[in-house]
Amino acid sequence: MTAVQKGAVDVIALATGVILAPAEAWTRMLAAMQSNSELREELLRLEQENRVLKGRTQRLASVLAENARYRALLNSARDVEDQLIAAKIIAISPDPARHVVVIDKGSLDGIEQGQAVLGEEGLMGQIVLSGDSSSRVVMITDSAHALPVQVNRSGLRAIAEGSGALDRLLIRHLPASADIRVGDLLVTSGLGGRFPSGYPVARVTQVESPAGEAFALVTAEPTSALDRGRFVLVLQGSARAEGES
Amino acid sequence: MEQGRSTWAIYLSLTCGLLVMLLPLPVEWRFIRPDFVALFLFYWVLALPHRVGVTTAFLLGVGQDLIEGSPIGLSSLGLMVATIVAIANYQRIRQFDAIQQSLMILVLMMLSSGIEHWLRDGINIPVASWAGLVNLAVSTVCWLPIRQVLRYFRRYYEVI
Repeated sequence: MTAVQKGAVDVIALATGVILAPAEAWTRMLAAMQSNSELREELLRLEQENRVLKGRTQRLASVLAENARYRALLNSARDVEDQLIAAKIIAISPDPARHVVVIDKGSLDGIEQGQAVLGEEGLMGQIVLSGDSSSRVVMITDSAHALPVQVNRSGLRAIAEGSGALDRLLIRHLPASADIRVGDLLVTSGLGGRFPSGYPVARVTQVESPAGEAFALVTAEPTSALDRGRFVLVLQGSARAEGES
Repeated sequence: MEQGRSTWAIYLSLTCGLLVMLLPLPVEWRFIRPDFVALFLFYWVLALPHRVGVTTAFLLGVGQDLIEGSPIGLSSLGLMVATIVAIANYQRIRQFDAIQQSLMILVLMMLSSGIEHWLRDGINIPVASWAGLVNLAVSTVCWLPIRQVLRYFRRYYEVI
């Protein structure tokens, strides 16, 4: 069955490519007609952005080394540096109840079930099925998805469940007195061994502790705009766990 | 497949129905797309009940599940049951006027999606909330234009 489904992902990727070929050609034509000056402007902008980013990462190497030394002092396992593969979203599952997309890289590119998928600003989802040259990704907001997170400020651990709405994650079963506030950043905690720790997931948007209820009502908004952008990164180094998707 | 009956046209149109579902829509707008697969299937069942029946419904459901990535066979059962109902009543449904027929299609769609909903609930696969109802309404409204187009298609290729 899984083999059939894997084959189907590839066929779907191919078929979608064929249906969208005219649109793709149109986009390319528009790009080709983009004037020289516009391109130069864009180049300047990108160069500037690149410079800023380079500046920001200058201290990264030394911080990483320092971190490694601390970890050695603490006798904890060294974090493996994660390999990233860039991929493009090529299809969206037609099922309106699910948040599942298809990307254009598959097991031939080293993609396996369970690997984490990053958007521009944070965690986006994970691979549930990898065909030869394309894979299916379930997003963190899918209502069948949940992941272990940690409040970056306080270290509080929680489970962020998908709500079925693109801009909302639910955190249930936190005590009403838990140290969590609106604006807190949630990052992956690494517990469960599926997602590597430390990637931003969501920002808390609402914390309510209704009188008489045992648990607080916490919602968060994913940091990564899940419905924008066409490119994602698949984390190669992420720990893989066996189990159901 | 028999010669001269243009049976291929049926399968071509059903495949097109599946392919239209592949067109990427923004994640939160997918429910406004009418359920082309079911509508195309019901058209052919009502027009040629001796050609298109439960087997086609089953295969179409499998195709839809492969596209959606759901467990294989999940949407088949609903489509098959709705097809049986349509086959049992096709002569009556054909006599209905436009409004009545659209409503009948709505009933068939509710039947098939209701069964799918129930199956999904049973195996813990997310189900569409109110958006599913919008989808039914859109599909009902789209029935008449789709019937018109497919009728023209059927007559052009003389599918019998």
